[in-house]
Amino acid sequence: MVELLLQFRGKIATAKLLILREQSQKELINILKNIRGKKCLVIDPKLGDSLSLIIQTSLLKEHGVELRHLSADHIQTDCTKVVYLVQSQPNLMRHICSNIHHDESKGLQREYHVYFVPRRTVVCEKVLEEEKLHNMVTIGEYPLYIVPMDEDVLSFELDLAYKECQVDGDTSSLWHIAKAIHKLEFSFGVIPNLRAKGKASVRVADILNRMQAEEPVNSSDMVMPEINTLILLDREVDMVTPLCSQLTYEGLLDEFLNIKNGSVELDASIMGLQQEGKKTKVPLNSTDKLFKEIRDLNFEVVVQILRQKATSMKQDYTEMTTTSQSVSELKDFVKKLNSLPEITRHINLAQHLTTFTSKPSFLGQLDMEHTIVESQSYDICFDYIEELIHKQEPLTTVLRLLILFSVTNSGLPKKHFDYLRRELLHSYGFEHITTLNNLEKAGLFKKQESRSNWLTIKRALQLVVEDTDTANPNDISYVFSGYAPFSIRLIQHAIRSGWRPVEEILKLLPGPHLETKRGAFSNSPSFDSLSGVSTGIAKVPDGRRALVLVVFVGGVTFAEISALRFLCSQEGMAYDLIIATTKIVNGQTLVETFMEKLGG
Amino acid sequence: MANVSVAAEWQLLYNRYYRKPELYPMRWKHVDLARHKVAGAPFGGPVAVIRDDSKIVQLHAESALRKLRLFNSAGHPLADAVWRHPGGRLIGMSWNDDLTLVCVVQDGTIYRYDLHAQLVEPNISMGKECFEQNVADCAFWGNGVVCITEQNQLFCIPDFRNPKPVPLADPMIDEPPRCIAVIEPQYTMSGNVEVLLGVADDPVVLVVEEDGVQRLGEGLLRGPLQKMVVSRDGKWLASFTHDGRLLVTTSDLTGIIIERECESSLPPEQIAWCGMDAVLLYWDDMLLMMGPDGDPVHYLYDEPIILIPECDGVRILSNTSMEFLQRVPDSTVSIFTIGSTSPAALLYDALDHFDRRSAKADENLRLIKPSLPEAVEACVDASGHEFDVSRQRTLLRAASYGQAFCSNFQRDRIQEMCKILRVLNAVRNPEIGIPLSIQQYKLLSPSVLIGRLINAHRHLLALRISEYLGMNQEVVIMHWACSKITASLSIPDATLLDILLDKLKLCKGISYAAVAAHADKNGRRKLAAMLVDHEPRSSKQVPLLLSIGEEDTALMKATESGDIDLVYLVLFHIWQKRQSLEFFGTIQARPLARDLFITYARCYKHEYLKDFFLSTGQLQDVAFLLWKESWEFVKNPMASKGSPLHGPRIKLIEKAQSLFAETKEHVFESKAAEEHAKLLRIQHELEVTTKQAIFVDSSISDTIRTCIVLGNHRAAMRVKTEFKVSEKRWYWLKVFALATIKDWVALEKFSKEKRPPIGYRPFVEACIEADEKAEAIKYIPKLADPRERAESYARIGLVKEAADAASQAKDGELLGRLKLTFAQNAAASSIFDTLRDRLSFPGAS
Repeated sequence: MVELLLQFRGKIATAKLLILREQSQKELINILKNIRGKKCLVIDPKLGDSLSLIIQTSLLKEHGVELRHLSADHIQTDCTKVVYLVQSQPNLMRHICSNIHHDESKGLQREYHVYFVPRRTVVCEKVLEEEKLHNMVTIGEYPLYIVPMDEDVLSFELDLAYKECQVDGDTSSLWHIAKAIHKLEFSFGVIPNLRAKGKASVRVADILNRMQAEEPVNSSDMVMPEINTLILLDREVDMVTPLCSQLTYEGLLDEFLNIKNGSVELDASIMGLQQEGKKTKVPLNSTDKLFKEIRDLNFEVVVQILRQKATSMKQDYTEMTTTSQSVSELKDFVKKLNSLPEITRHINLAQHLTTFTSKPSFLGQLDMEHTIVESQSYDICFDYIEELIHKQEPLTTVLRLLILFSVTNSGLPKKHFDYLRRELLHSYGFEHITTLNNLEKAGLFKKQESRSNWLTIKRALQLVVEDTDTANPNDISYVFSGYAPFSIRLIQHAIRSGWRPVEEILKLLPGPHLETKRGAFSNSPSFDSLSGVSTGIAKVPDGRRALVLVVFVGGVTFAEISALRFLCSQEGMAYDLIIATTKIVNGQTLVETFMEKLGG
Repeated sequence: MANVSVAAEWQLLYNRYYRKPELYPMRWKHVDLARHKVAGAPFGGPVAVIRDDSKIVQLHAESALRKLRLFNSAGHPLADAVWRHPGGRLIGMSWNDDLTLVCVVQDGTIYRYDLHAQLVEPNISMGKECFEQNVADCAFWGNGVVCITEQNQLFCIPDFRNPKPVPLADPMIDEPPRCIAVIEPQYTMSGNVEVLLGVADDPVVLVVEEDGVQRLGEGLLRGPLQKMVVSRDGKWLASFTHDGRLLVTTSDLTGIIIERECESSLPPEQIAWCGMDAVLLYWDDMLLMMGPDGDPVHYLYDEPIILIPECDGVRILSNTSMEFLQRVPDSTVSIFTIGSTSPAALLYDALDHFDRRSAKADENLRLIKPSLPEAVEACVDASGHEFDVSRQRTLLRAASYGQAFCSNFQRDRIQEMCKILRVLNAVRNPEIGIPLSIQQYKLLSPSVLIGRLINAHRHLLALRISEYLGMNQEVVIMHWACSKITASLSIPDATLLDILLDKLKLCKGISYAAVAAHADKNGRRKLAAMLVDHEPRSSKQVPLLLSIGEEDTALMKATESGDIDLVYLVLFHIWQKRQSLEFFGTIQARPLARDLFITYARCYKHEYLKDFFLSTGQLQDVAFLLWKESWEFVKNPMASKGSPLHGPRIKLIEKAQSLFAETKEHVFESKAAEEHAKLLRIQHELEVTTKQAIFVDSSISDTIRTCIVLGNHRAAMRVKTEFKVSEKRWYWLKVFALATIKDWVALEKFSKEKRPPIGYRPFVEACIEADEKAEAIKYIPKLADPRERAESYARIGLVKEAADAASQAKDGELLGRLKLTFAQNAAASSIFDTLRDRLSFPGAS
């Protein structure tokens, strides 16, 4: 399987994705070049994180940039030119305004530029206008819609998309997603097949089609587009998967150490470095060959593989010191030695992870997740959650299970609903009423109004698989040691045979579904179905496999990405996959977006 | 022979031939140039004519009112307008680059007319000084003008696109200059216009700029200049001296290039460059062409003429004809010179023989075989320079005849030339009257030509040409649509819409919004609304809908587009325009707009949001806002704990509570708010009694814990009963609180108070977490579930006890897990293996 994974990863049309990165980099540099001389670049911190994937700080410095993070505090710099690079969110304007007002009060004469990412918006300008600052700032745009996270993963970096859509009714993210896909189409061609499930996804499809009508991607030359199919899926459709603890290597790293933009930060001592108390950043991406090999595997297996590698290395070493070797054997040995730092790195990380995974609380939680997903013993689950609240366990942990519980039961009976809400407020404070309100609005923790479909769905899609062999998996269920992620199951069907065979199931899920042809292909009957058998269609002229772009509206977890990569590596799979998401999430970060304190 | 007759019309000047074909007989009637001021535009542009008010003329059966009349180059009338402007005499009149007629009158007002003799608003003023001093003379260039006042002050407008008068430096002269000329800004060093003045009694030329005056030509000139003209590229100056000589110098007057005696010492009426290598001087009835050397050429005219300089020659306009004086192009010379034996001439001759079926054709061809490509090229080139269509055709035929025998000639050269000639011939049609030469056409560029055609309302021709040349037709159709709207005041909206749509659909991606905007500007709001409905781009459509007052449609379209930015645009627009209540009503009906409003208002317009919720009866949302506000008191530094500010805070929460209570659906929230208020009161009291500010804003559970930690069990009990805290929670809280302060005695006492409602697990967990094994062991045996016992033993490292308990539980999976826990401990591991083997549970992996 490892070989297969490697094979698939090399082939993807990643070159073009890398071009995206270069383009974005160039655009940013051009913006900076056009503002002559030394300047202070003030970035909103969240954007700064994503920008680190686009451009290195050193490169910014080469262009005469002094880097600052945007906050309410005024900026201390000698530069007379201040360039704000911010996401176009009205609440960030407040900081900019207070910055400028402060400078004014100090009599500082500065030149202000505000660059909005990805575009200027009426709301933000309105705020500047109301503060009477719009004449003092030069406004520009930095059209960054997509950030490539890895060679097959794109992120729109819309952290709050899911919450904004579900709770606030603010659907700006959907336009952003459509725009991003439309931009991709300008370099990959119009995507001829589209499948969407969920309210937001169908809306994205709708906006995308509008954009195509307004500003068509030229597809007159009828060249086979590189991306054959676009699959859009709402997070709302499957809220079960992200709330389960991920058991792949990368997933676990994210659960416990929080992967941020392809790296984790942890104590240097853990990595065997001699700097006491210092933090160190460990990059985690596909340039690390070993990581590429093991990231998608079940953690149990990773531990074994690492052990094997270490042992064989040790063996080689002893052989080397005892017997005489030919030159070529020496060469092989040295080559292996080169991978030593990687092996050490991952052994350290894996070791660190086991300190978490062996905790009884974690095992208990896994157990409970499984029980909830199995959906058989309501009372046990209820008691467990109640106890967590009484023990005042961290609120995110509690909510994660509680939401999982509510979602699989399509809500809780009113009595229990009110009881648990009261216990939560009593234990964690009344300010969390907003959080509860948000969750209720989003339908994540609510009063039961109808019978739950979960059992039917679980059975029909074979979501719980007994006897999962995590070492030699034959199904995606390996990523959760027995639970096949629901979202990926749907996508598996969508890729293989479209929505039709699972239509009955789709009807049980929230939101409409859609399956259409687009562009020049909308009227051509010859491209009828996207089936794994008719590989003739799936080939791009130069023999590479065609691509399927899978977009998660509302976030995706590493475990799900791993499951998709696994699907890709399976025999009979006619496509390579690119995954795009509003943000890479895990249960905790997802729950956190809904948490809002009344007084906060 | 044809060849002879062609060359017979040429004149030789020095070593170059010049020709002067008639482009058009003038179609106009009763126009006497002598009585008029005339302005002719370059590039075959139109001619403007108005009776000269500086001359005394006799009126023949015509109105005393002066009329400005516009004609094309063939004398075909385009438009006219009665001249009724105040401001004194018309000083100068000229066409600028975009074919606007610029008229300067005495008081410094500039009136502008378009091709249809419509006044272009607004009129421009040259400023107060010009108004007071009167303009005496002016000089134009492509896009600007310089005026000189009667007091010899200069003012210029550097660019009509931004018509602001700029004063130039004072030349400090008392008498008006003899002559004036300008060097266009694009040819000067400074990038600003330079004005050359020939002054009386002073053998210099003054160069006036914005920031200074220079004297040039001192020592070079022997007397004042009477007349001058700058060449097209701004490099050369041709001037007529006081003593009747033509002088060509560099434009900075550093060197004399040519100096020729003229036959008259009277200054010529007009002087002009003909291309770059000859100068024309016109006196009453004689036109004199001077070259660098050799005898000048004389042309005699018995009627007045106007010289209109072009880039490659001069058009000569008289009452009856329009001629074009140009140097004969080299290719034409090589073919048509008498006795020419150039390959091109022989090729042209060969075609003639071929047409007459003479064998000499072949002979000619063989003669020029090696240089056939040049011959073909010359024929193609010469055809381009011809105005006569039949001669164009003959030359092209000769070229294609020769091309058949040459293998290495660029095939599309002839085709290209045909294309150009078709366009040129089309615009040279007297109806259109744009006699462009090929050189002028190339310099002007097809797109500008199309622009001129649509300005002249020749839309069909413009459309055909742009189609023929493969250019974007959007400009043409767009202009047509706008002109159509302007011109169709009497056509009903629906009919006009159909007419417009019929044409607009020809061009994909055309902006319906732009056409609609024009319709709106013309007061046809309804038509605009109908048009904008066809605009596919919401980003163009929505702003326009707003500007024509269709706010509801705008909101609908913006919502449909999914572009939140557009929705906000409409939202703010309506917000500003309408009364609050009306605004609230509008957005309440539109969920997306409403939600966006709320999102924005939450951030920046808190109070206003409250009004909104009140107006729509969403009392619970008002309640949430009030509840949220209650926290503001905490953030406020004045609200130090225990201060009377607690009162208002609690009042706010109570207000929220009563609002929640208004609706049945919010009983829970109402209850919660009530409890919150109660909690704050109790916490406040506790802070007063304990004199420790650690209670306010902690949760009920935390309050209980804090009380127990402080040893205040009565208070803890009170909170418990006040809030009906369940026994279950109470036990967890108290056990953990006691473990925190390591009061193991109290813990044990508590465990014995009564049988704990949730068993002894809290006790075990609290002890284990506090790492007190000895304490833990007290409670583990009391656990009811053997599995829990096994796990608890395992957690404190008691392998044997754990194994025993596990085997009691008969749970293989548990054994496996315990084994894992003891993975490092080989002995422990084996215990579990043996146990598990003994049990041999299925599914124990």
